[in-house]
Order: sequence, then C-alpha cells, then structure tokens
Amino acid sequence: MALKHVNAVVVGAGAGGGVVAKELATAGLSVVLLERGRWYSAADCRKDDLFNQRTQVLGAKFGPDEERDPRVLVDESGREMVVSPSDGGYSNNAACVGGGTFSYGAMAWRYMEKDFRMRSTYGAVEDSTLDDWPIAYSDLEPYYEKAEWEMGVSGDDSGNPFKAPRRKPLPMPPLAPNREYEVLHPAARRLGLHPFDIPMLRNTVPYNGRRACMRCRWCVGFACELSARTGTHNTVIPAALATGNCELRTGCMTREILLDSRARATGVAYFDAGGRLQEQPAGLVIVSGGAIESARLLLNSKHRLFPNGLGNRNGWVGRNLQSHSYSGANGLFEFETFDDLGPGASVAICDYNHGNPGLAGGALLANEFIRLPYQFMALVPPWISRWGSEHKDFVRTAYRRTMVVMGPVQEMPMFDARVQLDPKVKDYWGIPVARLSGTRHPHTIEVGRFIASKAEAWLKEAGAVETWKRVPSKSLSGGQHQAGTCRMGNDPQTSVVDASCRIHDVDNVYVIDASVHPTNGGFNPGLTILANAYRASGALLQAWKGKVRL
Amino acid sequence: MNNRRRSAKPALGRREFMGAGLAVAAGSAVSCSRSIEPGAGWRFFTAAEALAVEAICAQLIPADQDPGAREAGVVNFIDLQLSRRYKKHRGAYRQGIAAVDAAGRSKFGKPFVELTGERQIEVLNAVEEDSRPFFELILAHTRQGFYGDPRHGGNRNMASWKMVGLPYPPLRGREHYQG
Amino acid sequence: MKRVIAAAGLLLAASLLVVPGTTLYFESGQGRRCTSCHEMQPLYDTWHASSHRDTACGKCHGDALTLDAAFHMNNVHRAWNHMRDDLPERIGFGNRQAMTAGRQCRSCHRQEYARWESGPHSAGFARIFLDRKHNTANMLMDDCLRCHGMFFEGGVGDLVQPVNRTGPWRLTQPDLAGMPSMPCATCHQVHRFGEPMHKTGEEGRTPGPAQEIARPSLAFFDRRTEQYVPVADLPVPAMKEGARAVRMSPDRRQALCYQCHAPIASMQVGSGDDRTGMGVHEGISCLACHEQHEQKTRASCATCHPKMSNCGLDVEKMDTTFLADGSKHNIHWVKCADCHTKGVPAKKQEKQQ
Repeated sequence: MALKHVNAVVVGAGAGGGVVAKELATAGLSVVLLERGRWYSAADCRKDDLFNQRTQVLGAKFGPDEERDPRVLVDESGREMVVSPSDGGYSNNAACVGGGTFSYGAMAWRYMEKDFRMRSTYGAVEDSTLDDWPIAYSDLEPYYEKAEWEMGVSGDDSGNPFKAPRRKPLPMPPLAPNREYEVLHPAARRLGLHPFDIPMLRNTVPYNGRRACMRCRWCVGFACELSARTGTHNTVIPAALATGNCELRTGCMTREILLDSRARATGVAYFDAGGRLQEQPAGLVIVSGGAIESARLLLNSKHRLFPNGLGNRNGWVGRNLQSHSYSGANGLFEFETFDDLGPGASVAICDYNHGNPGLAGGALLANEFIRLPYQFMALVPPWISRWGSEHKDFVRTAYRRTMVVMGPVQEMPMFDARVQLDPKVKDYWGIPVARLSGTRHPHTIEVGRFIASKAEAWLKEAGAVETWKRVPSKSLSGGQHQAGTCRMGNDPQTSVVDASCRIHDVDNVYVIDASVHPTNGGFNPGLTILANAYRASGALLQAWKGKVRL
Repeated sequence: MNNRRRSAKPALGRREFMGAGLAVAAGSAVSCSRSIEPGAGWRFFTAAEALAVEAICAQLIPADQDPGAREAGVVNFIDLQLSRRYKKHRGAYRQGIAAVDAAGRSKFGKPFVELTGERQIEVLNAVEEDSRPFFELILAHTRQGFYGDPRHGGNRNMASWKMVGLPYPPLRGREHYQG
Repeated sequence: MKRVIAAAGLLLAASLLVVPGTTLYFESGQGRRCTSCHEMQPLYDTWHASSHRDTACGKCHGDALTLDAAFHMNNVHRAWNHMRDDLPERIGFGNRQAMTAGRQCRSCHRQEYARWESGPHSAGFARIFLDRKHNTANMLMDDCLRCHGMFFEGGVGDLVQPVNRTGPWRLTQPDLAGMPSMPCATCHQVHRFGEPMHKTGEEGRTPGPAQEIARPSLAFFDRRTEQYVPVADLPVPAMKEGARAVRMSPDRRQALCYQCHAPIASMQVGSGDDRTGMGVHEGISCLACHEQHEQKTRASCATCHPKMSNCGLDVEKMDTTFLADGSKHNIHWVKCADCHTKGVPAKKQEKQQ
C-alpha cells in the first residue's frame, strides 16, 4: 500500500542524510527521513566499556542489529565468511539517528586543496583508480564554513600553515590543554613541526543552546550525556523536524528504489518498524546510507535499463571501497602522561599530509582519545608476554604512562576493493546482503609505514623511553570512515554520480554521503561529508526550483 | 567453594521452575548493588568446569600485590556471558576445558586444577600451541572480565581499575545553574 | 466464542490462585526461595548479610498480595525471560521500585525520613525538570539524570517533553511530579554488609563521637554503570584555588556530596556546582554545617562561633549569603579580606602581646 506522496525521501539519517533532510525541509519541501536504526539516548549506553561503538566485544551498541544484518566478507585468501556487525571485517558504521556522528570522536577536518586533486598532484599510481574530485576545495569552502558555524566547531588551526585558506575562523575556542598536549606540543615545535589544536564538532563553550564538553573519559564510541558533542542527531535533524515538513521514521529498512518505465524514481519500498512492506512515493530519492549500504541499495534497485543495479551501467557502483589506514606509534614514558581529561585527543600536525618524498598523500598525526583499561590491551607492546605476571605488571605500570600518536592515512583507491550483493545470504528482511572483497593498495601500506615512523620520532622527542609502531595490514579497509563506492565524477564511464551528486542518467536520485568521495583525504571525513551534503542540497534545491514537474 | 551447589544444566525441572519463577516474581525488584559473585551457582559451567576455568584465568592474570582474575571473579563473567552474548562459544569452552584437563593428565597425570602453579603454566604453554583458538578465546574473555566493567560480572570491586590508577566514578561537574 | 470466554475465565481464575500460592511458597522460605534463580542469589546474599536481614523482602519490595499491576507485570516479564533462557546480567532497581522502597524506609526511619522530606534533596520531578527559568536558559540533557532521577529508565526525552528551550514542558509520566528525584536509595545502599541495630538504651538521642559516623550504607548510586560505589571508594577531590592546593577536610562522607556538587574538570573551588569551603571556612567538611537529610545550616554557626566569642561579632549578622541569598560574599568561600579591604587587623590577643 502506498503512503502519501512527498517531495523527497531520504534514506539514512546519518551525517549526509541529516543535513539534506534539514536543508530540504527548511526550503519547504515535504521530506520523509528513513532510518533503519533507533534514536538512542545516553541512557542506552551507560558508559559500557565492552559494549559501545568503539569496543564491540559484547556487541555494537548503536547498531546495526547483531542478528538481522549479516554481511559476507571475502578475505585475501578468497575465503568467504558470514560476519555480524561486531565482528572484525564487517566494516561497521553505526546504524542510528545521527549515524556515525552519534558516537564518533568528532574531529572536524577540512580536507586540503591537494586532497581534491590527488591524480593531478601525484599522477597515476599503478593498480589504483586514483582520481581528482570533480570539484575543488574552493567549491566546498563556503559549505565547510556553513557546517562549522551552523553545527558548531571548536579548535584553533591558526598554528597550521598547511591548511587550505578559510574565510572565517572557527566559532569556538579549543579546550584547555591536557597533559599529553603539554608534552607533545613543545616536542613537535622542537622538531620544527607545526602543532595546533584539533578542530572538533564539540562545544567548548555553550553553543546553539547546548552545553560545553565536561571532559569525561568516555567520548568516541559512547553517547554524549551533555549533548556537547555535535552530530546530526542534535543539530540538523531536530531542526528538520521543527519545520514541520520532515517526518523521521526509525526502524525502517529500505529494500529498493522504485523506478518507472523510464528509470525515474517514484519512491522507495521499505520495511517499517513492524516489518510491514511499505511504499513511500516521492519526487526525489536521496541515498545516504554510508558507503556500503548506499551501494547495496543501488545494487538492489534493478531495472530494465539498469539490470545490474541503479547507476551501475559501467559496473562502478560498489567499487573503490576505501577508508583510512590508521598508522602511528605508541610510546612509553617515565613520567605520567594520563590526566583523565577527556576527550584526550588534543594536538595535531598536518606536516605529513602531503609533500612526503616519493609518496602520494599522507596523513595528519594526532594524539589518541583516552584509552580505557580494556582498550589498553591493544597497546601492550609485542615484546611483553601475552599473559601471566609480566603482562599484568606492564598494564599496571604503563597504563598512566603511555601515549599514542596516529593518523588516518589517505588510501589509494582499488577497483577491486568492492561491495557486491551476495548471491546467497539475505538479511532478516530477505534483502541480499553486502559482500565485501578486496585488499589495500601496497602504496597505502608504504605511506602507513612512513607515517608510523614520523609518529615514533615525535613520541621519542617527547621523551618516550620505548616506542612501538602500528602499521596497517593488507586486508580490506572499511569501517567508520568508509567511502568511495559511488564515485563522483564528470565522466559517466568512470563514476556513478555527477558533481551535484545526482546519479548519471537518472533524473531524480542522488547519493549524498561519503560514497561519492573519489578519494578520502588524510583526515577524518565527518566535516567533509557534512559540507558536501550542504553543497549538494543547494544544487538539488536549485534543480528543484527549475523543474516544476517534479 | 561449597556453595556452588548446582550444576547449571538442566537448571531446573518444570515444576521447580514454576515455583522458582514465581518466587523470583515475589521477591523481585531488588536493588542491583554489585556484580553477581561466584557462589551464585553456575549458569553454564559444571562445578568442575568452573574450577578449571578459574584456575586457567588465574594463570592468565595471576594475583600479586593486586587481585588477579580469580579474585576479580572473571569466571563469573565468562559463565554469565556464555549464557548471553557468548552462547555461540559454549561448545568451544566445553571442549577446550576438556582439552586443558587432558593436557594436564597426559603431561603430569593430573587434571589441571590439581597441578602446581609452574606445571599449570607449562600446560598452558602447550595449550597455547596446540589448542590456539580456545586459548585465544579464553585469553580475550579473561582480559574482558578482568579489565572490563564490573556490570558484566567480572572486575569485582573494580579491582583492575584501582590497580591501573583509574578511579571510578570520576568527578565532573558542569557550569553551575543558579535557580 | 463461549469457549474462548470459558478459557479466558479459567486462565483468570488460575492466575488469581497463583498469587496467594506464590506468597505462601515465598513466605515459607524466609527469602531463601527467592534465590531459586541464580540471578537473585547475590541480592539475597547481600541482603542476608546486611543490617536489614531481619526485614523481609516483601517489606520493602512489596509482596505478591499487592494490587500494584506494574509489580506483577514486571515479575511475569521476568519469569517469561527466565523461561526463554534470556538471563539478565543483573537484576536492577527501576524508578518506581526505588520510589516504593523509599517510602517503606519511613516505617522505621521516621525521623530521618521526615528531615529528608523537609529538605531540598526530596525535591520532586516537577520541581527539578519543569523549572521554566532553568529550561529556557539550559537545554535539558541526559546528564541531568545523573543526579536527579538516577533510577529513571530512559533518556531525558523519555521523561520530559519537549527537549527544547521554548517549552511548555511536561512530564511524560505526570504522576512522577511529586515523587522524589533523589530517593533514599541515591545515597544509601541497603544490600550491603552491616549489623542490625540493637538498641541497648544507653546511646544518647543524638549521635555522639562514640557512634560511627560513616554509616556502612553510604554509597552513591552511579547511574552510568547502574551500580553503587561505597563511600570509601568515592574520590574526595584535590581541589585547587588557582595553582594552590586547597586544604580538604578528611571527612570521607563528603565524597558523596562531591559526586553531584562537583567542580568542572579544572577542579577549581567554586567552579561548576562545587561548594568546597575556602577562605575562613577552608578545611571544613560539608557535614560540619549541613545536617544530613535536611541540609539545614541555620543552627550550625553556633557550633564554632558562640555569640559571646572573644571577637564579639555575631557571624550570623555579617554580610554573607548565610544572611541573605543576594549577598556577594558566598558563605562557602568568604575571606577576611572580602570585608577588610584595607587589610585584616591583627587579632586582639596578638595586639596585647
């Protein structure tokens, strides 16, 4: 049974979908925002260190559902396995109102100018589909600014000479330095580097009616009890709902995009919270499910004109799955470095994002968020016994004397790192699940090694008596920073959506999330997803106003 | 140890259950002060298995000047989670514990729990080689039960958090509200 | 149709019979029957070793004869989960259960209850969450529940609507309006070790130095982990005034106060909701002036400042917030120099020497 027709249906209430819903609803369009997850509160999380979105040993707290949403992973040796959201290799991103922004660490980076021109800067990289974005930094700059001021970003990048030009400073000051900052900042200076305060989607003073961060030890992975950390769930989505033009429906799993005979979207079919199949007619369909689920939805939306899935005429949907290859180092100190002042991550450098000799791209380097005791298990160095008194004694003596410096290494896109539909496995609703396969590019790992050595040098300068590196493996990269599967480009032969994020050759279907990123920068992608969603919404609204027939 | 009087399977007969369930009903709604402690009767393990697991955990994270896995009730964490999130690992534990005991018997002619500390370590070194998946599983679970939140049944009295110097709860206020 | 009605009738009759049957089963075991389920064992154990061991479960938690439908539904739900092998990690205390149990405290602890009821810590949900002045200035948030309504199941949006700064606000469960948002169970853990009180008739009416100060029940219910932390494990913060370390009273009971009357992360005196004594009152415990339960301070000055003191001053008439809320001299951190702006005169005794 069809529901009341609306102007637009947005699939996914995460970073991209939240912004689009708000922009369209504010412009007067009627919007239905579909989200498969729930709207969580801090009461659902309760600072559970084994059951949150960061540490998932007892489950992924903010979804997706452990039983209902399997995926298939094909590892490097070709072995297939069915994986659940809390399994490694699932490439989980939260499924809830706010999506990843509900429980992320909230670093709010602008990509640099070269990040939009990777192919032009570094030339072709063998076995990689490395390419430029169809837009430049300057096209996105006003929308970065809009995201920073409308949602609220704190920090101070005035000490960063590598940053792309900005017109306005950040609206909020950074938090007061923690102990790690006090040690690492001068050490970076001594090395001739350029340390500065990490920009974050985090209130450091009251902003937009929400409080300032209280600096608790549970940040990334947890719900913010103060709502001081900023996501779409406490900014644009409530704003969209307040217009009266937007209806949010949670617990709704979208099955496919419905198409008419000319492959124009007429709406979507979805299973509502009660498991009933519904059809939501709409003039516009915006896909914002994250890189894996957005690709899966397009692949599941088959049509006579698109027998392999919507927008997939040339087989590019689901290709180039990428994320970030976190690389860095851990350092052990003779003095205490732990002061329990959250969020922990505080100081960064962009000296190694570009211009690294013989390497394409790089990463920012920053100190890590607070590690809770169980998380510290991953920090015990390889030369310590894995069990027994030695291990315990190391944890006891090193817990408050360890620092981690690392960064999200920009990855070389791989055509074979991809999302497909699994021919056999179906989810709870009977929809074919995503099948993930592929590996990382060897150059990504090389850059990772370089970045790790720089992190090590920084820690040593700061006084570390022992350091040990963290370098990426060869296995497929996905996870929270997943991107790339519906590449944005001007050439329909080698991309899925155009520069306005509209699917090539399809009138009224847009993909607005990190799926469209041709490359993913050496930065956490959150702010870029938000900014691009503001930009694409603007383009979409212009197209809307030009076409009365929609 | 005497008060571990019930092996969990089958926990209760139907008739017993009716009475028990209703008794729970009657006496329910009780405050939730602390983690479930051993002595509660095991949910999945037999009494012998529980002793074996406890002994293994106690070698993985031994007591020294601070409590170890045994004192922190890690076996209780594992038993509880095997009845919840880790139901899928039940088979691995049943077989794994048997394998550890078998290794103890073949090496030293005694079940694991009856061996001296050094010999237990020797057996575990062999298990780490020969039964790698089970060893990795119980090592991960022991760490979770020891270093994780007490709400899940381990880390009794926040022993590990006190050990590493992470006081709980932390003290954090916000800007003041003048009413 | 008749059959359906007959079946329903039978079911109803059976369930009505079950209720007294259960009571009987339960009463006959003096609490031990509760532990037929292992989830209940630790609660039984802690109760059995507590000072309330002579108080039957039903006395605080209600028994099978209660007419409270929610009580029975909760139990049916629990039995059902047990039957399906869906074990709870722990058995917890719901908001309404905290209210019910709290009311039962009164039957024995009458004086304490009356004092608490007359003080600010018994403020009801409406008073805390529907305050227009607060809600227009500050967005409601989940963290409010850490100190107000800590037993509430759900987020602040499940308690108050709408969550915005324009209002008008209402409680989603209107009957909570007058119920205490900080019930007895906030600071008192009943299921913990302790000896029952045996009156010998020799103790005085008011607690003296011979009696223990920190009752073993003192513990903070930490909403985040849904567990009690005994007062001995709670931190008394190292407060600072600028870079200077403030002298702290060694009274451990204060640790309980600090959980909610907490400074911001900088640990500066007077920041956030902190009220650490400073200036002339530095090093004094919260409980030196604030009576527990009613928080009254009116009679406290005289303890240290008798009217006929050698300085000849009536401290209660001095310009501080003790005298009037509007004073700019907060009684918690008033210094001599605040009034003696030209320098504090040396003490008379010192002059005479």
